[in-house]
Amino acid sequence: MNAFSNLMMGFSVALAPANLLLAFLGSAIGTLIGVLPGIGPSAGAALLIPLTFTMEPTGAIIMLTALFYGTQYGGTITSVLLNVPGEAASAITCLDGHAMAKQGRAGTALSLAAIGSFMGGLFATLCLVVAAIPLTKMALQFGPVESFALLTVGLSLMMGLAGKSIIKALMMGVLGLLLAMVGLDPVRGMPRFTFDRLELMDGIGFIPIIMGIFGLAEVLSNAEDGFGTMKLAKMSSLFPTKQDLKDSVGPIARGSLIGTGLGLIPGMTGSAASFLSYIAEKKASRTPEKFGTGMVQGVVGPETANNAHANGALIPLFTLGIPSSPTVAVIMGAFMMHGLIPGPFLFQEHPDIAWGVIASFVIGNLMLLILNLPLIGIWVKILKIPYGLLFAIILAFMIIGSYSVNNSVFEIGIMVVFGIVSYFLRKMDFPMAPLVLTLILGPQMERSLRQSLEISQGSFAIFIETPLSAVLFAIAAVILIAPAFKSLRKGKNSISGEST
Amino acid sequence: MNFNKSNRFVMTMTLAALTVLCINPLSAQTAWPKKGSSVQLWIGYAAGSGTDAGARLMAAGLEKELGVTIVPMNKPGASSQIMYTALAGAKGDGYVFGTINFPSAIISYIDPDRKAVYTKKNFSLLALHIIDPGIIAVLPDSPYKTLGDLIAAAKANPKTVTITTSGIQSDEHFALLQLEEMTGAKFAFVHFSTGAASAMAPFMGGKIDAYTGNVADVLAQHKAGQVRILGVMDSERTRFYPDVPTFEEQGFKLYNSANRGFAVPAGTPKAIVNKLSAAMKKVMDSPEHQKLVEDMGLTLRYLSPEQYSKFWDEYADNVKRLLPLSKE
Repeated sequence: MNAFSNLMMGFSVALAPANLLLAFLGSAIGTLIGVLPGIGPSAGAALLIPLTFTMEPTGAIIMLTALFYGTQYGGTITSVLLNVPGEAASAITCLDGHAMAKQGRAGTALSLAAIGSFMGGLFATLCLVVAAIPLTKMALQFGPVESFALLTVGLSLMMGLAGKSIIKALMMGVLGLLLAMVGLDPVRGMPRFTFDRLELMDGIGFIPIIMGIFGLAEVLSNAEDGFGTMKLAKMSSLFPTKQDLKDSVGPIARGSLIGTGLGLIPGMTGSAASFLSYIAEKKASRTPEKFGTGMVQGVVGPETANNAHANGALIPLFTLGIPSSPTVAVIMGAFMMHGLIPGPFLFQEHPDIAWGVIASFVIGNLMLLILNLPLIGIWVKILKIPYGLLFAIILAFMIIGSYSVNNSVFEIGIMVVFGIVSYFLRKMDFPMAPLVLTLILGPQMERSLRQSLEISQGSFAIFIETPLSAVLFAIAAVILIAPAFKSLRKGKNSISGEST
Repeated sequence: MNFNKSNRFVMTMTLAALTVLCINPLSAQTAWPKKGSSVQLWIGYAAGSGTDAGARLMAAGLEKELGVTIVPMNKPGASSQIMYTALAGAKGDGYVFGTINFPSAIISYIDPDRKAVYTKKNFSLLALHIIDPGIIAVLPDSPYKTLGDLIAAAKANPKTVTITTSGIQSDEHFALLQLEEMTGAKFAFVHFSTGAASAMAPFMGGKIDAYTGNVADVLAQHKAGQVRILGVMDSERTRFYPDVPTFEEQGFKLYNSANRGFAVPAGTPKAIVNKLSAAMKKVMDSPEHQKLVEDMGLTLRYLSPEQYSKFWDEYADNVKRLLPLSKE
């Protein structure tokens, strides 16, 4: 009840006209940053910080946090319309989102994504209000050992992304892990597979890779059919049907849980949340084979999850003053530059600011929903541009996007190489999703594995001796073995079916 | 309509790029800085990093001080080595300067694996700007009450006391190696190569015995009584934790900090170096700059070009000696 009255006080702060305006500004700029590929939420927030020096701290932080979760809305738009992920966490949305756009259901995909994002953000904010402390305590159970076990579960789910051939999916998964090895060894400090290129010391850039894999490869295969207009079904209504909404309930619930949960655990990124949610949807579906052909669930789930993650990641910041992702670290910097130290003391010393900012999450998410729904009608008009022109625009867009990650031409090269390679891989029916999944999970997995072994001084027993990790490994084992039993049983059924 | 929008965007970007390329005047030695000219500040880390935040504050101050436009540009990658390489090769005309971080600037050319194409000779140092002294912290319920306790435990049972670093060859890592060398203790390092912030949660969750970081990393946790800071690696107590003794007070002559300053390419005329350095000093003396930096938990410490250069040499000697140990 106490939390509730505090929240009401927060609303009175967040609803002040100036703060409303700043929440709106942050949301709008965030959407724009999400739409522009390359500039991620952390760079966006960082560039905006100097502008906030003259503002009231509450307003400044409301704006920056709104920008942060606003990017999750914007990133979807280019994923769905152009198959170019505007933001890493929206990469997986390309699979079914763009397929929906081709069926003339771009409006439905975008509005469902916006609704999902809103629900996800709302859920994570509720968690922050109601159960921040116990949730943080739970998240602190995840040290390197448990994180490695959790990531192993994530990796074992890779099968869920396999298309027709499991072998091909595995090959792509391993390729992703190999690519994740490029860069400075996290424990020995030796450069690995860098070919003396300084640009590769920190690993291959993730954004250029996904832009190449999804965006450029798509452009190339469309170009095969000449430069007419994109082959689209007639655009249907912008708004989801009753059936679509019904189909979205489950994904929103699961996406909210997955996103908020992973947001709490340090080191787990928004892209991991959206990928795992996609896999969860595929597992939960009665028609998993239809994923990739424009399933509503494949859009709503991940989009809910990445926004729940964005808001969930702020929970450890408020409870412990721990930034769990680079973007949250930037927001923490903003707090500090305004003379505020995020953490439990914030609630005691500046309850108006702490609760005001939290209440603004609800308002900001609502604004984003209102801001995004009417804009969908405008966004989908992009698809009416003749493909020959659109092709050039997308290309320019991706080149600027890759360059702006590190202000480096090298990243453009990465984008082009991966685009061309994955164009051919797609021709040979290699699925790209397993590669992206291992590329996301790989670096964090390696770090937590090696940290665990540093803690245990090289003994692998630590993974079994730690109860939580043992349980997670058991789950991973079940996930890997279960399909074998299932196919065995199916085999029996079909035999018995034939005999009667 | 949207086509026009995107098109205009591309044009604007191209124009912006051209402007940046053309703006550098070719002969500028005579009257530096030329009125209305712009000076580039290259930042070796990404937008939003600690280095970036400090550098942008300095840029804002210098703009007022020198009456020029300072254009901060992030050139992140390879622990700043990409930017150092570019800076070493840039023209020394006073229109480009860059951030310098210890120990990354020093390790990159001392460690043969890093294959740097520059050494200290390629830079002309301007001023040290910010230091953030190292700290070691434990949880409040930890059996280690003092630095002495922790070190004794790591000595009695080598490689059993786990301790975080913010990555191999970070300032924390070198500080710990020096502490080991000094005391004969042996810690079990757990490297968090993505930075001190990523080590905080596992430490707070009790997965790791002790945390090495910098003063600014534990402001919130210290305030909430969630950590016990055992010592600060500086010659004087920090104003942020006046109750925490220094290492020196506890008998360990260890001084270490993350520290950031600025440099121009070698060959920049001495007059320009001095003018830039003096302007930086003025910025650091201004109360508004001080407030912003101190709110972040950081300490301002100005060193003149000569003092900074001496500091670099001392730091480099340390790094040279400890480098083989860091790879064990």
